[in-house]
Formats: sequence, C-alpha cells, structure tokens
Amino acid sequence: MSRLDQHLTNRELLEFADGELAATRAESVRLHLAACWACRTRSAELEATISRFVQWKQSGSDPRIPPPEGPRALLRARLAAEASQVSQGQQRTDSQGWARAVAGIAALAIFVLGLTVFFQRHASFGAFDSASQAEAVPDRGLTPGAVRPVRLQDVCSEGQSDKNRAVPVIVQQQVFQKYGLNRARAADFEVDYLITPELGGSDDIRNLWPEPYTSTAWTASVKDALEDRLHELVCQGHVDLYTAQREISTDWIAAYKKYFHTEKPLLQHAATPSPPAQSLDQPEDSAQPQARTKVSTAS
Amino acid sequence: MLSRPLNPALDLPLGLGQCAQPARAESVLEQEVVELFDALRDSLLRYIFSLGLPVADGEDVVQEVFLLLFRHLQLGRSRQNLRGWTFRVAHNLTLKRRYASRRQNPLGSEAEERLDPNPTAEEWLLFGEKQAQLTAVFRALPETDQRCLQLRAEGLRYREIADILGISLGSVSIYLTRSLERLGRAEGQSKS
Repeated sequence: MSRLDQHLTNRELLEFADGELAATRAESVRLHLAACWACRTRSAELEATISRFVQWKQSGSDPRIPPPEGPRALLRARLAAEASQVSQGQQRTDSQGWARAVAGIAALAIFVLGLTVFFQRHASFGAFDSASQAEAVPDRGLTPGAVRPVRLQDVCSEGQSDKNRAVPVIVQQQVFQKYGLNRARAADFEVDYLITPELGGSDDIRNLWPEPYTSTAWTASVKDALEDRLHELVCQGHVDLYTAQREISTDWIAAYKKYFHTEKPLLQHAATPSPPAQSLDQPEDSAQPQARTKVSTAS
Repeated sequence: MLSRPLNPALDLPLGLGQCAQPARAESVLEQEVVELFDALRDSLLRYIFSLGLPVADGEDVVQEVFLLLFRHLQLGRSRQNLRGWTFRVAHNLTLKRRYASRRQNPLGSEAEERLDPNPTAEEWLLFGEKQAQLTAVFRALPETDQRCLQLRAEGLRYREIADILGISLGSVSIYLTRSLERLGRAEGQSKS
C-alpha cells in the first residue's frame, strides 16, 4: 500500500492513468491520489501535457493526409487481383505437386490404414469428430466467400426469392474441377453457395463449393437451417448483415453451434437430401441450370 | 428438390453469367480488409509520417500493409489484435524503406528532414508559434521516445507498443514518462 509520506512517481501516475497497473496496485494508487494533493497536481499536469500533445499531433498531421477514396479504390483493385492470383496459383501448385504427392499419399494411406485398424479394435469413431467437420467446411483459399453489394432491405425483401437460386451446370463443373473432384465423386456433392444469396452472397465462383450430401453429419440441410436462422436474425435486427456474412463464410459449423446452442446438428435439421438424378455429363454449351437442392426447414 | 424459373436479372446466359463477371463480386475477406483500411489508414499514415517518410511513400506502405493483411487472413492466421499487427508491419516496412532510401541517397531530402529538428517556415505558418515550439521539442526527443508517444497517441496499449518496437514493457513506460516530462518542462519554460 502507498503511504501518504511516500509520493507516487510520474511513471506510476502515467501507468495508472493509462490503465496499465495491476488491479491491486491501481487501487492503492487511487487511494493515495484521493488523499494527496501534490500527486494529484502532478497527475493533472501529465494529463494536460498528453492532451496538448494529442491536439498538436492531430492538427499537425491531418492536413497532409490525402482523401481516402483513391487509395481505397486502388486497394480494392489490388485485393481482387491478389485473390484471383492466389486461386490460380493454388490450381497450378495442385497439378505440379501431383507426382510428389503420390508418394506421400501412399505413405499416408498405409499410416491411416494402420490407425483405422487400431481404432476399430480399441475405440469407435464418433459421428461428429473433427475430420467430419473438416470435410464439411470449404477450402478458404478456393472459396473465401463473395458478396454482391446489397442493402439490408434488399436482403430482407428478396430473401425468399433468393432461396433456391440456380447454379448452372457449367459452373458446377468448374467448381468440381477447381476442387479436383472427378465425376464419380462429384455425385456425392451439391454445389452450394458458401454465403447464401439470401444473405447477399454472390454468384461468383469464389462463393461456390462442393458440399457433401452424406459423408459428414454437417450436411447441406444443416447448413440450410443455419442460413434460414441467420436470415431471420438479420432481418429482425439481432445480427448485422456483415457479421452474418463473415460468420457463415469463416466457419459455418461454428456459426451453427453458436446460433442453435448445440454441439451437434439438431435432429430436425439432419435430414439428408438426395443427390440429384440429373447427371453432370452434359454438353459444355448446355444452358439448363441445375437447381440448388434445398430442404425445407420450416417447423 | 425445388427449382424455380430463371430470373433474367440474376441468371445471365452461359459465358456471360456468374463466372464471366467476377469483378462485380467482392469476397468477404476483401470487404473486411477494406473496412480495416478505412478504420486504420489515417492512424497508420500519421505514424508513418512521424518516422520521416514522405506522403506518397506512406501511401505505398499502407497499401502494402493491407495486402499483407489480406494474405495473413487468407492463410487463416491469427485474428487477434489486427490493429497491433498492422502497426507492427507498417513500422517494419517504413524502416526498411527508409533504410533503402538512405542507402541510395545518403544526403537525400528525407535524411535531411530528420536531421533538422526545427519546424519549417511552412509549419510555423500552418500550425502557429505554440504548436511549432512543441514540434521542435518533440523532434529533439530520442527516436524511440517519439515512437512510443506516437503509438500511444494512436491508442495502442503498452504491450502493443512493446511488440511493435521490440522493447520491454518497462521500457515503454520509462520512455513515455521521460518524454512527457520533457514536453511538460519545455511548455513550462515557454510559459515563463
């Protein structure tokens, strides 16, 4: 504890004013200041110097800062270029590294096989393990999510018409190709919007990804339920649109857990949608869109 | 499975549709970075100027900071304290640029600007006598003291300042106290 006859140093006064002291020390400084006029005067002088310094700094530098519009537009353009470069680079790396990856995959397969045998003998796999979650979340490098410029009222008035927006077959093929999925495997996936159009998600390929039908507990229908919930919360003003877009694009499973207060998909959301009967083996110039599968989650 | 008829406003013919106009869409990450740019640009520029970089170079550094931030977030790296992260990167890029500039032109205008602590005639005119005196006192402080003050004035906490400047937490406190005492004393002298 500080005693009255032991004045505070300027350093202590500054750390106290800046909230940098530990709680117990801060309390003893506060008590000392309440009793000591000399320290309070020095504290006020320090504050006055800080105040003049901040005023000087703001008045001195601000006129030199150019308006932000030009630099902001430049940054937007550079970010867009950067995003497309990363996407192309990833595809190149995927093909170049294929040969090297084969040896690694073979070794990994043996390791995984060993692990599987071990776990089958010693434990059962949980249905909601992290591997299951990982498969249900898109690759952020390939699908970071993309939005179109919309206002809240647009989203809330056009939400229902956006619900079942079609993804053309040719775009689906591009998405599968981007993710390196062959036709046989592609039948197990639905091309889905990462940020649903109901929440302002765009048709850009960066917002589309192959979502598994059945190989994970976190299926497309579970995500549909989250989309409906977020749309409702956004339009009721409980969640802002940007937050909803960010949460669903960053980790939609975490968002589901957060907004449904559960660690597992709820039973009523876990209905498994059927894969489409329609084949993707269509001519490149086909204009017939593949309807996006949507399971009703209305209760 | 539900389907609906094509909406001509949303579904363009193939080849002109979704993939053909990627420039119209903007990823959430891009949007987030632009919003951070809007929130932090002025503070970063003020700090960069205080390190002696000209306005045009300062803008370049800020652009680079936010491109690096975009890559940082794209790789899924830590989102904790992004403000501190941007200041640390801006600090390092600015020093690198200053170093390169001094190597190329040891007697260049930038170096001269830092050597002379006195306010320029333009600054006297622009900010008035009192402010110009404060400028002189500030510029006479050791460089680390100046940086601590600048960063604290931009709202950074002691731990963030220590990280950016690569000094200990205690040193931040000592430098801040010392420089505020000097500024306060100089003001006291100018009053008397």
